Amino acid sequence: MADLVRPFGVGTQIRLIARLRWRIMRNSLLRQDSKWDLIGMIFAGFFAALLVLALSVAIGAGAYAFLSQGRAHWLGLLFWAIFLFWQAFPIFVAGFGQQFEFRGLLRFPLSVGAFFVISLAYGLADFSAAASLCWLLAMTIGVTVARPDLLPAMIVISGIFALANVTLERLTGSWLERLLARRRTRELVFGLFILLMVIVQLTASSVASWGKAAAPWLLRIIPVFAVFPPGMAGWALKSAADDGYGKAVLYATGIGAYALIFGALLWKRLAAQFRGEELSETAAPSSPRTAIPSVKQPEKSSHLRWLSPQVEAVVRKEFRYLTRNGFMLLSLVMPPVLVILFGSQIGLVAKKYPMVSSGRAGSELIFPGLLAYLLLILVAPAYNCFAYEGRGMQTLFTAPVRFRDVFVGKNLILLAVITFELLLSIGILALRIGLPSLPMLAATMAALLFSVAGQLIIANWSSLNFPRKLEFGSMRNQRASGMAVLLAFGTQIVVAGACSVVFLSGRWFGSPWLPAGVFAVLAASALGGYFSSLDALSALAEKKQEVLLNALCK
Amino acid sequence: MPVDAIVSEKLTRRFGELTAVESIDLRVESGQFFGFLGPNGAGKSTTIKMLTGLLAPSSGRMQILGLDFAAQSREVKRQIGVVPEGMGLFERLTGAEYLDFVGRMYGLDGRTTAQRTAELLDFMQLADRPKTLVADYSHGMQKKLALAAAVIHRPKILFLDEPFEGVDALAAGALKHLLARMTENGVTIFLTSHVLEIVERLCSHVAIIHKGRLVAQGSLAELRSGIAGGEGGTVTLEQIFLSVVGRDGAVQPQPEELSWLT
Repeated sequence: MADLVRPFGVGTQIRLIARLRWRIMRNSLLRQDSKWDLIGMIFAGFFAALLVLALSVAIGAGAYAFLSQGRAHWLGLLFWAIFLFWQAFPIFVAGFGQQFEFRGLLRFPLSVGAFFVISLAYGLADFSAAASLCWLLAMTIGVTVARPDLLPAMIVISGIFALANVTLERLTGSWLERLLARRRTRELVFGLFILLMVIVQLTASSVASWGKAAAPWLLRIIPVFAVFPPGMAGWALKSAADDGYGKAVLYATGIGAYALIFGALLWKRLAAQFRGEELSETAAPSSPRTAIPSVKQPEKSSHLRWLSPQVEAVVRKEFRYLTRNGFMLLSLVMPPVLVILFGSQIGLVAKKYPMVSSGRAGSELIFPGLLAYLLLILVAPAYNCFAYEGRGMQTLFTAPVRFRDVFVGKNLILLAVITFELLLSIGILALRIGLPSLPMLAATMAALLFSVAGQLIIANWSSLNFPRKLEFGSMRNQRASGMAVLLAFGTQIVVAGACSVVFLSGRWFGSPWLPAGVFAVLAASALGGYFSSLDALSALAEKKQEVLLNALCK
Repeated sequence: MPVDAIVSEKLTRRFGELTAVESIDLRVESGQFFGFLGPNGAGKSTTIKMLTGLLAPSSGRMQILGLDFAAQSREVKRQIGVVPEGMGLFERLTGAEYLDFVGRMYGLDGRTTAQRTAELLDFMQLADRPKTLVADYSHGMQKKLALAAAVIHRPKILFLDEPFEGVDALAAGALKHLLARMTENGVTIFLTSHVLEIVERLCSHVAIIHKGRLVAQGSLAELRSGIAGGEGGTVTLEQIFLSVVGRDGAVQPQPEELSWLT
């Protein structure tokens, strides 16, 4: 029989888990390779605290101003801001924060009730919740200073509002956890997330264009928002301020009903986890061999016979990885979408200010600028090009292959992608704003070649020196090493600066073909540098083997 | 005179202050089925990583099939097949695609690679899942795929780190039979396993590493005759192992230590 010295309550369990979380964080930061993470965390913590404090002052002042100026109906806006941050922030940071797997706690003797309470308690300990609670407190202070008699109402409304928020946030989190536990749904959710970001950008652009026309329609749907918890909280407070306590109680009850519904759904979700909900998707064991006829695979005709077998193998593998990585595929869709987006905005500006951006003069500036922007997006992953290899990295080191072949294979795929994307974007740009002059077109193409070849040298070096493992379709902990990001950013700034000087030199010297000539020389040098760097990179890969395997095969 | 398959001299690996492997002198003849044993943390995986080029030694030297590893690493890698500790699989490929990748990386032509891929997938009972990604394979299926990848280029030496872990009995039986046939044809197999019965049944020669040092090496018969009170063939490998590791100061946990549990 198991020993149970004394029954321990939920409070003790929360304390134990708090200690566990603290130790996990402390130990991860004490690792030697985590010193940059620690420094980053200190900076991030400082700036986050500053932001929360500044917004607390703004929200408190806002609440005070709305009440003292007789605009209590605007208080709902503050509740909406808090609500949106509380609910949306955890989803956005899911990719960056160290997450704690609550499901793992279920192996301990917890009751469903304790699991529920612990889940809520830790929901309140998240950054979004802590910041939102600070802002609710600031709002309470602002309201109390303006109208001291509203303090009891504000406390009750804030309390119920916070409860509705924390239950909803945990509910969303638990559903996300379920969706993200399966690889296929994880990729789908991640893809939808990226698409949502694109839609938000397109919507923002449309609002800028059609905002005035849409205003009456928007005004008609605003009352609908009153039925949601933040709207109700605003109306409850307004009713209390107007001495309509009956209505205030009604609205507060409405928020409470939301909290109850969210709580009940969360309970259902956690109870399913408690019962041992199966989330994995591992294939069932193979059936015993029952004389499966040997299928002789015919040799596939390959378009890559001009490459060595090793480079060909890497190219094919990279292509397969690309087509199976939802995030990468979407990141390839993004650039042409951005070109369309910017093209539309530039078109609008051209209509408004025809002198500034119309005709060839506009495309002379916009064309190289937009292509440089595309390159910035497309080359960035090359600075951590082994990110998705995982344990396959061991195969690259056990096989009799020179790393120059691996780099050539990887860079060839990137080059193919860049070429395709740039041609597509050039086509879109040509249709939207027209092509620039021939010297500018030639200079831009040569500049792109220089930039790609030059950046690949540094990107390959960065991949060996600052590797960081990334997971397919996962939003958690998906960030390249800080140094790789810094290096990519720095290199792109230097390259962009150098290119700008060369482009301007044509104007300074009154020679339109000068930039094209200079870029041709630079591109030839960069290409020479690229090919001569490959052997040095191969040697470096051998030296860095241990670092790479440690970083990528965890 | 046949060339030794594996020879190491004073092979040492340090991680900062910790010496994981210290001055190991190994000698494995061609065609031997060699078992490499040791308790957890003894240095088995570190040694196998050094012998396969996944970890550089701090000092000492290694020769594989008479080739100096440091100077001719690519030539050595062509001759060996490896199932490393983490299996080294590319999880976003299907089994067939992974084998195709490995075959081409070892320089096999497309036709040979395709033919061997089909045969290996069939043998490993993985042929009925042509579209399943390695990421969705079970642990045992991944292990079988890693084994298939290790032999696709017909290596002369096979390094296997816990090859039967998670593999079902049916496949394990077929694999053992295959490995035995390979050694009959002159292939050297260097295997680590925690299951002493497997090593005892398969291996002709054994080395035992403890706390980073090689504490025993030889044929099973030599090791049996070497332990105090040994009675020839009646001594099991487990007895040899416990005797050799215990002799080196390791204290075996005693059941009475956890009296509150019993």
